[in-house]
Amino acid sequence: MKLAIWSYQAPAHVGVSKAAASFSRIHCVLRAPKGDGYGTIMLAMFERLGVMPPLSVCAMSEATLAGAAANLPAVLREVDQRFAPEMIVVTRSATAAVLQEPLDGEVAMMAAGDVKAEIFMASTHPVRDTEVSAFALTTRELIERFAQDVPRSERPSVNIIGPSLLGFHDRSNVESLRRTLAAVGIEINAVVPLGSSPDDLRGIGRAWVNIPLAHELAKPTVEFLRERFGTPFVEQLPYGEAGTTRFLRELCGLCEIPAQRIAAAAKESQLLWYARTVDAHALSSKRVAVFGTPTAAAGIARVLHEELDMEVEFVGTYVLEWAGWLRERVADITSNVLISDDYRAVAREIDRVRPDIMFGTQMERHSASAVGVPCAVVAPPAHILNFPLGYAPFVGYDGANHIGDLVNQTQVLGLEHHLIETFGPRGQGRFAEAAPEPENVAVPVAAGDVAADEGPRWDAAAEKLLGRVPFFVRKKARTNVEKYARERQIAVIDESVLLRAREHVGG
Amino acid sequence: MFESQAEVIERDDFCSLAPIGWLHHKMQDSFFLVVGTGSCQGFLQTALGVMIFAKPRFATAVLDEDDLGGADPLTGLRPLLAAVVAEHAPRAIFLASTCTPEILKMNVAGCATPLEAEFGVRVYPCRLDGFDAAYTQGEDHVLQAMIERAPTTDEKNLVVLGCLSALEEAEIRIECAAMGLPVPRFLPAESALDLPAIGPNTVLAPVHPYLYNAVAYAKRERGCELHKTIFPYGPDGARAFYETLAAAFGKSVSYADREREAWAALATQTAPLRGKTIAFSSDAMVELPLARTLRAAGATVSLVGTPNVYKKFHAAEMATLAGVEVLERPDRFELFARLSADRPDLVVANLNIANPLEGMGFAVKWSTELTFQPIHGFSGASSLFAMFSSALRRHEALAARRARDGAPGAPINLDFFRLAAGARA
Repeated sequence: MKLAIWSYQAPAHVGVSKAAASFSRIHCVLRAPKGDGYGTIMLAMFERLGVMPPLSVCAMSEATLAGAAANLPAVLREVDQRFAPEMIVVTRSATAAVLQEPLDGEVAMMAAGDVKAEIFMASTHPVRDTEVSAFALTTRELIERFAQDVPRSERPSVNIIGPSLLGFHDRSNVESLRRTLAAVGIEINAVVPLGSSPDDLRGIGRAWVNIPLAHELAKPTVEFLRERFGTPFVEQLPYGEAGTTRFLRELCGLCEIPAQRIAAAAKESQLLWYARTVDAHALSSKRVAVFGTPTAAAGIARVLHEELDMEVEFVGTYVLEWAGWLRERVADITSNVLISDDYRAVAREIDRVRPDIMFGTQMERHSASAVGVPCAVVAPPAHILNFPLGYAPFVGYDGANHIGDLVNQTQVLGLEHHLIETFGPRGQGRFAEAAPEPENVAVPVAAGDVAADEGPRWDAAAEKLLGRVPFFVRKKARTNVEKYARERQIAVIDESVLLRAREHVGG
Repeated sequence: MFESQAEVIERDDFCSLAPIGWLHHKMQDSFFLVVGTGSCQGFLQTALGVMIFAKPRFATAVLDEDDLGGADPLTGLRPLLAAVVAEHAPRAIFLASTCTPEILKMNVAGCATPLEAEFGVRVYPCRLDGFDAAYTQGEDHVLQAMIERAPTTDEKNLVVLGCLSALEEAEIRIECAAMGLPVPRFLPAESALDLPAIGPNTVLAPVHPYLYNAVAYAKRERGCELHKTIFPYGPDGARAFYETLAAAFGKSVSYADREREAWAALATQTAPLRGKTIAFSSDAMVELPLARTLRAAGATVSLVGTPNVYKKFHAAEMATLAGVEVLERPDRFELFARLSADRPDLVVANLNIANPLEGMGFAVKWSTELTFQPIHGFSGASSLFAMFSSALRRHEALAARRARDGAPGAPINLDFFRLAAGARA
């Protein structure tokens, strides 16, 4: 047994569900106790889905413990009828796996044509696989199942591999890449898994090049596609302005497109110019650290180091099996690579290094803030804040601008910093002194008012009970209770007056 | 417990680990150690994650392949308990068995006694699983575990059962004093070691409709007297609760005027509900009393879905709902079909169907809030009705403005992501 409080990665079945449910016309069925089915809530809440998510739970119950067979065929029929998917991907949670139910057998015994959808049993291991490895494997398996021999598209095109529902800013990332690619004249053949239908997957071989948006999620897929169709994939990471340019240069080379077109795609990018402006001069003395998924950590660290000239103290990831890849990617930036899936170890490193700015996950935001270090959130696990209504990409040229904004929002601005260093924070206070202090302002009527109406008094018990009201409504509750008492000419507020007031005015 | 053998496809509620969220807050000296899988840990992180940074007093003992292979759980738990005791110094640890230990027939409960002896910290074994129990029944199982350790007594005393806020407890305390009843003891109290004596003359008053197992246990093992009436939700519930309490102590007290006054004071919150139709999907097992008091407030209740109905325990509530259709563990899609036919003005629903139901055009009140807002008694009634009336008001106001501006505010569906990804039409 191992004590766990918080973890960067969810269990394997979440990885499978995220991948399978992100395709169009594919539904995921999870065999698990209903308590394991909270992926449906995440889909409905984080992605704000106004329809039932394409994820259903075939729930284990007390009856299962007593030996009842899984009701999988009934669930498959129901899903088939309600959602009419082309395929139903079946997976199970670790709890279900312990029971070793013969789910394959149950499916095999269903009569031909019983359900119209094809049934696909995901092969991930519910305990040994992680969220990341299960996602990557499932994406590859489904592509492998559908891919057909098709002619290459007439014009240069790409597949973007990795974006999904519940992904980290994935909708924005795809949009940013689409804008960038359109400007150089490259079409998108498919985005996988987000929104791709089995038909799109059948035609996956049309693309000239594959783009692994997150290498840890896309590697098995892009390697399969290279093997199957000889399609190359881009190694450069599209983070930052220079990074995106290098990425496009590699991509244009593979697509036999003149590199001159890149300038047109980059015309709205400001990051490299921003780095030259006075506000950004102070960045050179800033020490930063980056922790997240391997791709985000490698990509962001390079932007900070090469494009903004910041000093990178350490780079790290919680996807343990990607340690070697990350080390290699950042070898020219730092040899301090932190590999850990224990958030407390990362917190200790932040506390020890005390960077000027931390770039990490939502967890690092909290760990950094505990030691007074500002933090920008640049990597999953995703939080509700990472599902913005608007456009907030991390990749491509627009992503470069957004990273620049994040740096700006997280630190004290350069010129402001310089002024404070020189004149001290009291410099701002001088202006404040010009205005009269509130206690010096004479309000002639106030004294009389107070004398005339001292207001109701609180007895000790009522005061104590008010203390139990949540702090953010306490002030309002106090006002309401006093108003209630005043209206009824009650001089002393005791517990029962407080409760009576609550009865009348709520809170 | 259940007659049907068929498994349900999907239950629209949480895992019964969820009450850890409020129980660990209530009992300030407790620690909850959940013996389960990474999925249990993930659920606690997702559902209660906001509290993680305040040195949470809950954690998961994640089973590894040795444990799954049948290793003695005591060996695995020992170092974990040592770590918990060293870091948090709790006065009581709730050792929770979950789905996987149940499947493995792992004797987690059997570890409680030796661990308690070894570490000198009270260890309550309890079962918090995600199979059939409604999520609120996690509290039921925790309280049962505490009752098992409660001292006995022959005294005629009063024990109020169920996790309440300080405000709700204060009302019950004040009313009991006014009626001349014994000072009530609350379970749970602020310390996990603070256990009331429970014996054959104890009047046991459950305040939540999901405490069936704890109540059944106390009745069976301690022979205590059960306070049988409707639950203290709404002025009607509060009145019945107090009057029945008085009767249990041989006193005749009328709360008729008090109830009438309360309804009058609630006019602002109840007026928007009058003539409106409300439907409950199945979630927290508080549906029966809420449906009852909403009807008393003038609303029509078209349908009550609820996880479990216990014939005797819920008899008084069920009697008030004569003529209202109550569905136990409704099938999700049958429920949707019924809602589409009835078109209620408001649907009360769990988070995993709340947004989809909004997408289908229903006004939704998310139901999880009903279990952590202080809505019991006379003093909670205002908040209780406000939750429903404000949901209705908001939905109506926004719908009217959208209609005026010709802006539909169409729900996001899966095509939204497909198109965002640049799918060919």
